[in-house]
Amino acid sequence: MKKRWQKVILVVLLFFWAGGTYYGYQQTTGSRDKLQKVTIGYQKGDPVDVSRSRGVLVKKMKELGYRVVFKEFADGASEMQALAAGSINYARTGDTPPVTAAASGTDIAYIAAGASRSSGSGILVQKDSDIDSVKALQGKKVAYTQSTSSQFLLLQALSKAGMSASDIEWVNMKQADAAIAFSKGDVDAWVTWDPYTAQGQVTQQAKLLTNGDGLSQNRDFILSTQQYAKKHEAVNEYLVKYLSEDMTWANEHPKALTKLLTKALGMKQTIVAKMVDRRDWTLTPMTKAIAKEEQTIADVFYENDLIKQRINVSDDVIYVSE
Amino acid sequence: MKKSNKQDKRQAENLLPWLIPIALIIVWQVAVDAKWIDATYVPSPLAVLEQGVTLWQAGTLQQNMGISLYRATMGLLIGGAVGFVLGVANGLSRISHALFNSTIQMVRNIPHLALIPLIIIWFGIGEPAKVTLVAIGVMFPIYINTLHGIQSIDPKLIEMGQSYRLTKWQMFTKVIFPGAMPTILMGLRYALGVMWTTLIVSETISASSGIGYMETNAQQFLDMPTIFLAIIIYAILGKVSDWIAALLESILLDWQASKGGR
Repeated sequence: MKKRWQKVILVVLLFFWAGGTYYGYQQTTGSRDKLQKVTIGYQKGDPVDVSRSRGVLVKKMKELGYRVVFKEFADGASEMQALAAGSINYARTGDTPPVTAAASGTDIAYIAAGASRSSGSGILVQKDSDIDSVKALQGKKVAYTQSTSSQFLLLQALSKAGMSASDIEWVNMKQADAAIAFSKGDVDAWVTWDPYTAQGQVTQQAKLLTNGDGLSQNRDFILSTQQYAKKHEAVNEYLVKYLSEDMTWANEHPKALTKLLTKALGMKQTIVAKMVDRRDWTLTPMTKAIAKEEQTIADVFYENDLIKQRINVSDDVIYVSE
Repeated sequence: MKKSNKQDKRQAENLLPWLIPIALIIVWQVAVDAKWIDATYVPSPLAVLEQGVTLWQAGTLQQNMGISLYRATMGLLIGGAVGFVLGVANGLSRISHALFNSTIQMVRNIPHLALIPLIIIWFGIGEPAKVTLVAIGVMFPIYINTLHGIQSIDPKLIEMGQSYRLTKWQMFTKVIFPGAMPTILMGLRYALGVMWTTLIVSETISASSGIGYMETNAQQFLDMPTIFLAIIIYAILGKVSDWIAALLESILLDWQASKGGR
């Protein structure tokens, strides 16, 4: 009698196991079709994340014969590695990753640029911290992520305050670890970008010591490799076109966008609203002026000995026709 | 209907394993409610449960669980099959054993984390990479236990088989395989545990789905209820798979007199 029950339980459990596995299999693969696959790397709450959540881009690209797949990354530095390895075809990063990647010999192509995100990027300190200016960071521990926009912003802030890079203690960590280190007070300040900035401000009432105004535009960039982008000019054009359409939608519908991102990010609505309120959404082909901004970053990094060779950004730019 | 004392006692014993988990949860809830511990770092069990319900309604929880289950199962099937075949081959053939065993033992001791860079370069960051890592983790316990099970079969049983003039295939299916079964199942039980631990490691490789992803993603936003939820789901999945292995043992090893008392 007992054996029979055991068999019944076992069969039921194995049945659920097989069912769950099959369900999971369907979730991972999606439809198997003859469409050409285009993989885009993105980060939480960025323009690509907006397009992904909205779903219009995927549909339009499908009509043109492309299957767009999105891969999420924690920061731009990891995206550049994936881009170099060929795991992704396009990447959306901040302004610094392409510079450091190009300096280390990675094949980079700038495809498109976004609006300035200077008001959502900045240096956070704890709510009861006595640090009230960038100068007061002297000798303090500041968390940042190497080869991301946070590194450039911090460098610029220090130089604007008349300090040198060695005046503070640089603590290089991933943003996820920095969030925890900051909340526990293991570091005195944290250089970050939205949505992390908004997250810190809302949930921990952290103070924004300075935002990126006048320091770093921290634009969004859509990047690819020369090798891929030159062979897929049509994809470049379609992507820029549809991403920029999605950005126009985002600018015109802040309420719907907040709702969409709240769901996509799994964050509190107040945090997302803060982030959405203080930034513009645009995405345009590269311009000479924006390439020049990137050149400034490259030069600052070279002068600070953070990259080993001088690079010429304009060599890497691909001007997509609108 | 009057229950005998013995039955009462048995029922009490059946409840005993649940005592500590339940007590822990009650103490945990009370400690958070009474503010002995900070709810920002340790959310209450109820908050964790609520988060589970929210994520289920949003559809992300079952999706991530399904994907994790798929990766784990594929890894188990592939790694288990390879481990089993190697174990049988090396258990039966002296030459195969001499050829492969020391190499396998060497590879076995490499920490899985150390293999991640290699796996990313060889298999990319998609599903194959994750399944491969799980398969590698699962392979070794199955291999070792299969090998050990076959090697430790009573030579007298084999001798008896020979005197009955069993063919090689009959020898394998009637004597060697059943004889090695208890040890192989023990290997399976251990492999199921390894399967889940390797899975969480593999799901930190640029994953955008799965329970492991859900947890690292929650870490970025200090979303403590989701982190606890992911940990508890792992615990439950681990318990259920262990239960399946125990049931398998109990059913398949019916013939073993020593297990009869269970």
